[in-house]
Amino acid sequence: MDKKTAIYICTGCGIGDALDIEQLKEEGTEDFSIDLTKDHPFLCGQEGVDIIKQDIEGEGINTVIIAGCSHRVNYDAFNFGQGVIVQRVNLREQVAWSQPPKEEDTQMLAEDNLRIGCSQAKDTELTEPFKAEEEYSKDILVVGGGLAGMTAALETAKAGYQAVIVEKEASLGGFLGKMKKLITMPYKDVSESGAEELIKAIEENSKVKVYTSSTVEKISGAPGLYTVDIKANGNGASERVGAVVQATGWVPYDANKLGHLGYGKFKDVITNVEMEEMAAAGKITRPSDGSEVKNVLFIQCAGSRDPEHLPYCSSVCCLVSMKQATYVKEQNAEAVNYVLYKDVRTVGQAEDFYRKAQNDGSVFIRGEAANVGEAGGKLFVEADDELLGERVKIEELDLIVLAVGMVPASKPETTPKIKAPADTEGADEDGMMEVMPDSGFFANSALNLEYRQGPELPTLKYGFPDSHFICFPYETRRTGVYSAGCIRRPMETAKAIDDAVGAAMKAIQCTEVTAEGKAVHPRAGDMTYPEFNMQRCTQCKRCTEECPFGAINEDEEANPLPNPTRCRRCGICMGACPERIISFKNYSVGMIGNMIKTINVPEEDEEKPRVLCLICENDALPALDMAGIKRMKWSPYVRFVPMRCLGSMNLVWIADSLSRGIDGILLLGCRHGDDYQCHFIKGSELAETRLSKVSETLDRLALESERVKFVEVGITDYDKIPVIINEFMETIEEVGPNPYKGW
Amino acid sequence: MENMVNYNPSFAEEVFRDVDSGDEIKMCMNCGVCAGSCPLREHMDYPPRQIFGLIRAGKREAVLSSKAIMLCTSCYTCVVKCPRDIPVMDVMHGLAHYALKQGYVPRKDTANFGKEFWNQVYKLGRIDEKDLPRRVFFAGGFVEGIKAMLNFMDIGLKLMLHRRMKLLPERKIKGVKLLQKMLDKAEGLGKGGIAA
Repeated sequence: MDKKTAIYICTGCGIGDALDIEQLKEEGTEDFSIDLTKDHPFLCGQEGVDIIKQDIEGEGINTVIIAGCSHRVNYDAFNFGQGVIVQRVNLREQVAWSQPPKEEDTQMLAEDNLRIGCSQAKDTELTEPFKAEEEYSKDILVVGGGLAGMTAALETAKAGYQAVIVEKEASLGGFLGKMKKLITMPYKDVSESGAEELIKAIEENSKVKVYTSSTVEKISGAPGLYTVDIKANGNGASERVGAVVQATGWVPYDANKLGHLGYGKFKDVITNVEMEEMAAAGKITRPSDGSEVKNVLFIQCAGSRDPEHLPYCSSVCCLVSMKQATYVKEQNAEAVNYVLYKDVRTVGQAEDFYRKAQNDGSVFIRGEAANVGEAGGKLFVEADDELLGERVKIEELDLIVLAVGMVPASKPETTPKIKAPADTEGADEDGMMEVMPDSGFFANSALNLEYRQGPELPTLKYGFPDSHFICFPYETRRTGVYSAGCIRRPMETAKAIDDAVGAAMKAIQCTEVTAEGKAVHPRAGDMTYPEFNMQRCTQCKRCTEECPFGAINEDEEANPLPNPTRCRRCGICMGACPERIISFKNYSVGMIGNMIKTINVPEEDEEKPRVLCLICENDALPALDMAGIKRMKWSPYVRFVPMRCLGSMNLVWIADSLSRGIDGILLLGCRHGDDYQCHFIKGSELAETRLSKVSETLDRLALESERVKFVEVGITDYDKIPVIINEFMETIEEVGPNPYKGW
Repeated sequence: MENMVNYNPSFAEEVFRDVDSGDEIKMCMNCGVCAGSCPLREHMDYPPRQIFGLIRAGKREAVLSSKAIMLCTSCYTCVVKCPRDIPVMDVMHGLAHYALKQGYVPRKDTANFGKEFWNQVYKLGRIDEKDLPRRVFFAGGFVEGIKAMLNFMDIGLKLMLHRRMKLLPERKIKGVKLLQKMLDKAEGLGKGGIAA
């Protein structure tokens, strides 16, 4: 495309008062071929926008550089359609609002920002959406036919899309089908499970196809283009789908590990799941002799919230025990239910059911079971009553119910340990140690994805699929695969229904945007995708290894096989590639390199240091904007270059900048680790890992390692940003100017 | 184990059935706000929450002989603060009355004061500011009575100076018979009523 570039400088919002606009027009654009330069005091207003539109039509301008506010605002006003490249340059939050007006340093900052923008616009190409050769499917595969699975399939059908359910049991229903009653909104009383109606609705719906006694043998392809091989009753079947909802549910925690609570030792100690099944089958009796049940004790948190067993709270067991207490009361009005609890966790409105249970006369005892035994054919429990501060004994019990927690069905029996570097005791010669991994690809077989990184969803340490819990709960680390219900986290029925609806909506959204060639979250609507210059590939496998979403497969010769519809466009592969062969139409190693090269580096004797800040545009950049909006001040020597994700940072930029005489490099990215906030899960972590290897480069250039620093920033940390910058500037001052200046 | 408490629901059932407002404690969720807000907490042997815990565990003796149930001054703080809307104060008074009825006297002075106070209100429809202290002070014997009188002499003189205490005996209020009828009816409404 032949570019005709125009620059529009907005002088509103204090920009005109802070800068010499004429000088900016001259100095900021001299190295670029610009066809038109205009300024306007209110560019985002109708008049300003009309001027731009007239130029696009009249002058044939197709590349518009808008120097004014942050790109995070007014993007709708400055949208001129598909054929026009719009480049935003920040002169407001980062310059006029955060720097003293009419000063030389402020002016230089604005000029650099404009130059960076011009350079970026020069290297940006018009995007063309990815279009696969095959036809896109918009059907949804739902793995698991329990409450969440059935709801997801029905919601999909209601929205007008086809759904396919694959259920491993002979009939639909999952655990819902095994329940006698359920508790749901408004939590005043127990209600019918509704499983039969739900199954009937599925069977009657022509848009839902059901495979029972079936498993997913293989899912190959990518979102919009999945081919699913189903093993149904011994026969094979194949379906083409656009997205997948995994609702494979939960299994109870293995009570055989709870010998200390009498399970396995006494026949009348059962789990809450066994209790539910017994109640659903008819009468609740003592398993040992089939006699009547009068006194029942529920032990809450049986194995839950216990580092030795299940370290987390399953959030449903309290309600379940209260529900089962109503079964006992219903059967025998004289019966006494004891509930031995650590904390009653009946979340939200479910508190009403707790009130009901108390009003019905259930005895709640706060404490932990210390001993379970048998005397005279009846059971007894000794417990430490926290409120009395004494050990108490509850005798004459007919039945003890252990309220065991929920384990995701994807959690394997054993989690393999991994070797990780450690500097503590017990490390081997190579400094490695066997540890429990925080996350990994150890899920039980359910999806059998044909992905190079593994056949299942990456899970967190307790076996739940990894997802960005705050911002994108349903999304997993596989684009197009969404998790719903108790596979995602332990939850009660009302929440599982919500979850299923949400996941079905996300799956539909995915098939739609994929067919349009756009990215799903978090870069929703982005039409670029990574392109590989395969001639220069050295088959190092870094891109296929590091992609947090498993987007890139591999052939036998280790050549990467990209799947653009699996891609989230973070650019982590671009940062990983040592040969720099991966690029996007509007984001590439060369482009960022050129942008950095336009930064004017003054001579050493001018005493104006230059610091490059590579800043994550998801959280750190908004925080910086916010600091600007709050009129906070920071050093004028810092030049910000936004990154799609810090994981797309390529080390060559660091080496290039330092060899040009830039004094320091600051990287601002998201928090990583157990409670990561990175929108691309591993991006900021990978950036820091890569950065740890930059010391070699620094050594080669004989530079101090303090010149490069990585700082984790949350989106709410706007107040810390000026502090971080100023502290780094102090460090740079101590280290002194970069000796490569002027070379 | 020696001090092991055997859970026994029979006392809880007794309290639910026979104590005024006793069934309200079913709804207690052991948050402890009542104990935390009670101004007399430090003088109590068991805070209200623990009293409820003891009832649930079936420790009849400990509850009915507890000083706490007689210490309540009806300040209403616990009632206002209870997240489960339990009238903790009413429960405490209910328990105190029940204890007295069952022959327990957790605090002799309080019980005696309550009895004299009630008798006077019932008889006169008001309090006689010299007669009530006299009866309370001398309940422990003549010497004790004199000591207590001397202790409160200053207050007594001031009360007289401000005409809060008359020299002559107080007279009955008008319509004391009607008041007595009302009080009798109120007594009949409760489960245990006041101690005789």
